[in-house]
Amino acid sequence: MMNRRNFLSFGVTAVAIAVIPVNLSAIDFRETLPKAWTATKVDDAIKEIFGTATFTEGSINLSAPDIAENGAVIPVSFDTTLNATKIAVFQDANPESAVAVFTIPENAVIDYAIRIKLAKTGTVTVVAEANGKLYAVSKLVKVTIGGCGG
Amino acid sequence: MSGTTKIKAKLKDGIVEVKALATHPMLSYQEAERAKKEVNFITYVVAKVKDKIVYEASTSQFLSKDPYMKFSFKGGAVGDTIELTWKDLKGNTDVSTEVIK
Repeated sequence: MMNRRNFLSFGVTAVAIAVIPVNLSAIDFRETLPKAWTATKVDDAIKEIFGTATFTEGSINLSAPDIAENGAVIPVSFDTTLNATKIAVFQDANPESAVAVFTIPENAVIDYAIRIKLAKTGTVTVVAEANGKLYAVSKLVKVTIGGCGG
Repeated sequence: MSGTTKIKAKLKDGIVEVKALATHPMLSYQEAERAKKEVNFITYVVAKVKDKIVYEASTSQFLSKDPYMKFSFKGGAVGDTIELTWKDLKGNTDVSTEVIK
């Protein structure tokens, strides 16, 4: 009897969490997805954040310099017309691969820019989740002076 | 205007483009070790207009020092106030506001 009651209440709780709309509660992925920030490989981090690492290439315009003289300040910008709800930026040159995860609000125009650090030459990957599918685009950035203080 | 983030928000053709420059040392684990300082970096940024979230990012130690962020959204009007809040690893927060021009 106890087991069934516990099982039922677990089911109800799970449904309740799934129903909370994204806009009402701010989502801090550092708290909700701690493993995403320690994942070393890009694929692992993608799986932690999106649940899968299967994606279609394209549909996102990614801009990053071909050669970055200063690895500490590398401008990365991207835009897309995808109806994306979540977008994340990764790179494979630093100890952990996740750089940032954006929750896209409903009135957003996806045209974002940030500046990142790369310890050495690496590939920057932007992954967007739209309508349950993942889209990704990558760009190799050559770094002449490493961006993590060395 | 009480925070340390510089914000420029401009409305053009129905889209508000925001450029924000936060002030933060953004020390990664490696850099902090080398400088013998405590690791600390912004972990979460959210921007709101009239209590509606227009930008939200969970960030890592790999954003550059004094992080620059550019983002756009629809639905803002000239005169609306945009409020940008960040939280860092140590739990500090900073709230800055600016009027959309």
